Amino acid sequence: MKYILLDYVNESGWPQLTREEQAHWLGVYRAYMEAMQKAGVLKSSGGLQQTPMATTVRIRNEKTQVLDGPYAEAKEQLGGFHIIEVPDLDAALSWAARSPTALHGVVEVRPMHEGTFLTEGIAKYLKAE
Amino acid sequence: MEYMLLLHVDESGWPKLSKAEQEQGMAAYRAYTEALKQAGVYKSGSQLGPSTTAKTIRLANGKQQVLDGPYADAKEQVGGYYLIEAPDLENALSWAARCPTVGHGVVEIRQLVR
Repeated sequence: MKYILLDYVNESGWPQLTREEQAHWLGVYRAYMEAMQKAGVLKSSGGLQQTPMATTVRIRNEKTQVLDGPYAEAKEQLGGFHIIEVPDLDAALSWAARSPTALHGVVEVRPMHEGTFLTEGIAKYLKAE
Repeated sequence: MEYMLLLHVDESGWPKLSKAEQEQGMAAYRAYTEALKQAGVYKSGSQLGPSTTAKTIRLANGKQQVLDGPYADAKEQVGGYYLIEAPDLENALSWAARCPTVGHGVVEIRQLVR
């Protein structure tokens, strides 16, 4: 089963850290990702630029609206993600619990649909004939 | 540059659609995914399981807390994502504007740190 671990972090915290503290946390994240790689569970991961750089797009009343900033204003912002392949939710949760983000933010664990996007995966959500 | 398109959707809408509407919606997403692939900008993408199956983990007062549900309780939830490679934000925005989600939800564009 594939799971996505969504890292919600408080962006305003990072600039307040000393250089040594920043180096420490970078090391902690590097060690976490290496552990996942060694265990063979890490499929991909990425860090996101901070939410002031985010843009949202929607169409309302047939007009495309492009707005600056993230979709949701919350105390924590989505800062990155890891996609892992593990046997079950328990295994996904135990990896999430080892994430450095669990120490200072929140890790959201979401199962991913098998198969390609909206081809096989969604078929089970179609209404019965 | 890599951009992540986060698809914020109202999950409660899907079951209310007729089967024909659901098939139409699926076809729109399939066509969009194909367009991304043909343009060579598609890196990866996936639909996520419903947010009711989400769990959150955090450390509170030195204790690990595992809670049911997504991190943010909002009208729309993250329902999927596309990771694309685009020359600049403008190009990423034009791809986002073609995503079927913009018609019924919100697409959030975030550049990846590299």
